[in-house]
Amino acid sequence: MRDTVMDMIPAQVATSAALLEARNLSFEAGGKRLIDGVSLTIREGSRTLIMGANGAGKSLILRLLHGLLPPSAGQVLWRGATPDHTARRAQSMVFQRPVMLRRSVLANLNFALSMHGIRGAQRATEAGRALDMAGLTDLARHPARVLSGGEQQRLALARALIGQPHLLFLDEPTSSLDPASTQMIESLIDAAHARGVTIVMVTHDMGQARRMGDEVIFLHAGQVAETGPIDQVLSHSRSEAARAWTEGRLYTNSTL
Amino acid sequence: MLRRHLFSLAAGAALALGLAGSAQAQDQFIVVQSTTSTQNSGLFDHILPIFQDKTGIEVRVVAVGTGQAIKNAENGDGDVLFVHAKASEEKFVADGHGLKRSDVMYNDFILVGPPADPAGIAGTKDITAALTKVAETEAPFASRGDDSGTHKAELKLWKDAGVDAAAASGAWYRETGSGMGATLNTGTAMGAYVLTDRATWISFGNKGDYQISVEGDDRLFNQYGIILVNPEKHAGVKAEAGQAFIDWVLSAEGQQAIADYKIDGQQLFFPNAGG
Repeated sequence: MRDTVMDMIPAQVATSAALLEARNLSFEAGGKRLIDGVSLTIREGSRTLIMGANGAGKSLILRLLHGLLPPSAGQVLWRGATPDHTARRAQSMVFQRPVMLRRSVLANLNFALSMHGIRGAQRATEAGRALDMAGLTDLARHPARVLSGGEQQRLALARALIGQPHLLFLDEPTSSLDPASTQMIESLIDAAHARGVTIVMVTHDMGQARRMGDEVIFLHAGQVAETGPIDQVLSHSRSEAARAWTEGRLYTNSTL
Repeated sequence: MLRRHLFSLAAGAALALGLAGSAQAQDQFIVVQSTTSTQNSGLFDHILPIFQDKTGIEVRVVAVGTGQAIKNAENGDGDVLFVHAKASEEKFVADGHGLKRSDVMYNDFILVGPPADPAGIAGTKDITAALTKVAETEAPFASRGDDSGTHKAELKLWKDAGVDAAAASGAWYRETGSGMGATLNTGTAMGAYVLTDRATWISFGNKGDYQISVEGDDRLFNQYGIILVNPEKHAGVKAEAGQAFIDWVLSAEGQQAIADYKIDGQQLFFPNAGG
């Protein structure tokens, strides 16, 4: 993958400024409190991993942070203020199971570009860059839905990066991929981070966590059980939940 | 005996006169099976008095979901079918329940949504792409789920997008099983996207801060058709009066009446008979 196509992602000076904050966030559904008083800070330029057992609320917290769901209580702040339309545009998300448009790979990218108001000759140029970045140039005319899992995830990532987001959410982007595809996706994420994109990723893979993250937010039963640098949380856990999970004793969001 | 005979003659005459009077009364109204959204738009309140003034024929509208309207007509309950589900209408005729289907007018559907726009689709004209994004983001979507023309149109759009929305029933895809106004009330309360006909949206009084997220895709155009229920299949069908109504709706005068109907200065239905 050529270095020049990285120009599509804006260079940013990484700072320790708070980019995204959750303040006492809660979410209830079906009479149950699924996220309970979560407060966290995502710093600009960081790579934050959200981890926890099944049912801990990892995907849910991602959706709340990205504004896909309204919280039952608490608030999410973007650069210290209530997120508006421009905040949404500055964020992007790759889902665990991305849904491709029922059209070609190129048409999927073109739609994403059109949603960002990019048309005409510029659209063709940007689409070409995105295809190149994702290694999908030879598959441009293929129906997106017949691509392999890894290829679809590369397309989803290219689509998410098209809007030059400042923050990229990823919900277990490699959970169903083989090692080779996983490695390709991780290198694309690394490249985006190198260009200044802040990363917030859900993963249950400890090896991936060590490769890809700086800080971990460990969730249990909808609450933050522990936060800290990767090595600290995974190797020297201070909370019972994180310790049980890393030792393989905690599989689901059950009572310890 | 003569008195009995005269009485019989008189009774017979009275009976005959009575029957003739009843026949005239029956011819003065027809029943049109149509849809709640068409009724709620106010179109019938505008055009039916014009037809009645001209012909003396009263039109009584039974407004239900499209699926129910078609079932009613299949059962012979009604003289004319006036709905907006072309494939179902054509099947109605092919199955012998109706004589002939004619295009009448079209309006359009729009997708309305919350200002937060969780699916990130506001402003696109591409409805299938928008619905794909709704599915991917699992943004709440409120469907009528009532076998109406609107519901059938919505299902077709999901199918065109290649998305099995019904599989998410109860999760992000919620079926209200009710009419357009009720579905809009439910949808806006839960922050869901809703596919609605434009007429109902314009006259909907509870919009809050909701906006039109997607409009203008020609796949959102909603074609109305009109059909006379087959009198050979159902003896009670008032074929002559029913056909008179159909002929008027399709005439220049009827088509102009449709075009003249406006809410807040906006034309809602675009006549296209014979188009």
